[in-house]
Amino acid sequence: MKGALQTEFLPHGRVALALHTLQHGPGPRLLLLHPLRGSSAEWGEATPAWPGEVFALDFSGHGESDWLPGRGYAPEVYVAEADMAIARLESPRALYLAGAGIGAYVALLLAGARADRIRATLLLPGAGLRGGGAHPGEVDAQADADWRHEVSAAARLPGEPSPDPLVRRCTRDVRPRYYVEAFARGAGRLLIADLTDPPCWLTVVRQQTRTQPVAADPREAFRALADC
Amino acid sequence: MQPPSLPDAVAPERSRYVDSLGIRLQVHEWGDPRATPILLTHGMFDHSRGFDLLAPRLAEKLRVVAFDARGHGDSDWAESYVWDLDVADVVNVLRSIGEPALLLGHSKGGGQVVDAAIAFPADVLAVVNLDGFGPPPEGFDHPQRTEMLEKTLPERFAAYLDTRRTAATNRAWRARPSFDDLVARRGQQNPRLTGDWLRYFVFHAARKDPEGWRWKVDPHAAGGWGPWRPDWIDDTYSKLKVPLLALIGSVQDNWGPLPEPLLAERLKGVRSLERATVEDAGHFIHMEQPKRTSDLVLDYANRHAARRRSPRRQKQ
Repeated sequence: MKGALQTEFLPHGRVALALHTLQHGPGPRLLLLHPLRGSSAEWGEATPAWPGEVFALDFSGHGESDWLPGRGYAPEVYVAEADMAIARLESPRALYLAGAGIGAYVALLLAGARADRIRATLLLPGAGLRGGGAHPGEVDAQADADWRHEVSAAARLPGEPSPDPLVRRCTRDVRPRYYVEAFARGAGRLLIADLTDPPCWLTVVRQQTRTQPVAADPREAFRALADC
Repeated sequence: MQPPSLPDAVAPERSRYVDSLGIRLQVHEWGDPRATPILLTHGMFDHSRGFDLLAPRLAEKLRVVAFDARGHGDSDWAESYVWDLDVADVVNVLRSIGEPALLLGHSKGGGQVVDAAIAFPADVLAVVNLDGFGPPPEGFDHPQRTEMLEKTLPERFAAYLDTRRTAATNRAWRARPSFDDLVARRGQQNPRLTGDWLRYFVFHAARKDPEGWRWKVDPHAAGGWGPWRPDWIDDTYSKLKVPLLALIGSVQDNWGPLPEPLLAERLKGVRSLERATVEDAGHFIHMEQPKRTSDLVLDYANRHAARRRSPRRQKQ
């Protein structure tokens, strides 16, 4: 990937996951998780102020990572993929996490499940932030129809360039209150970018953690993260 | 080892594959290819050869099609399992048949054929659900449940992540030295099946390698993760536009049937509903009572297959 100092591939079943090193440095480690239909290449200049090493993972179906055999894309699968990166980055140095869009939701679940490994987590806006609502009845009718079209057409599609069109499944996954609350409660420090129209699950996280939002500007948000 | 013999069991007459989202699905057929089709969908940890007693009886009147779900039997493994892609597989096999069909599903497969019929009603004549109406609100009772409920959601998810880490480079069931060991394990799920039937079923559920016998099913197949609540099923059945035959067994076991008031509540939105209880059967209705099941299904199919011969449907 352009801009990466190094790229290594982590095996996760039959999928090779691309983990890019974006920056070297003596300080704490930072892992970045990209938005839906995006890739690590999007981070660009967003993290210049970080005092340590910076890594970015491409989720399956995105960037330089393989498509998922069977195409069962889901936030929880991305968490398992990001968890492979956490295992790879195991070190005495502190580990921070930042995710944008669906990467933010993945980061929340990972922060809840691996609270002992992750010092602080930054949730940023981007594609896939909303998901399908808090209840199956709230799944957007258009997203549902689009998905049915994708699934019925996909059997006939040859391989396409990244991203896999079927990652769109993650625009309709349900993110209920009980679930989000449990993970927010289990997580360490959470920083949430200030959004004018936050999705329901992010409002639940805010209520649960009673944190003040940080600036939506990525540079300022990462500075706040480094201060945690 | 030779395939175990089982009286009245009939191996598929024709076999083929269907590609669904990059997964090669094993498909089997019995009966006259010109007859009204019925597609059979099995449940969790099962496989299509579990229909070898039911299918030949149905094939006296119908074209019977069955397939191994992704991660099961002789179909490919996926890397993660999500409900709506199992449903997409049902739809893709259904479309490979080339005309509208009846759908029959057992257990998890029962819920999935209902969802397939909701998504693509024009492709479906009617649905038969064999005790696949989902768990009660508190979930199915199983040996690990109490231990599971003592942990928080993130703790349980962390345990799932640990298994994915371990399986990342090595994903296989432990090899068992003897075939009979697998038979004994499966027998705990199916206490009412004869020894012959169990051995026949397990033979097609497992394969032997140099280290011993292993299940064919993907260890990940039952282990997906995500939010889900049984009460989410409640909205489902009111969206079903095709007729439904709901079958349960008379014997209570681990996986069903639901308490009657709960089942009636789940099904109350169905526009065209018939129900029947099969005597002397538990959750595995079609395996324990194939003749009674096939009699009910053939009678139902006979009445609902007529839909496809109506002038209106021919115009479509």
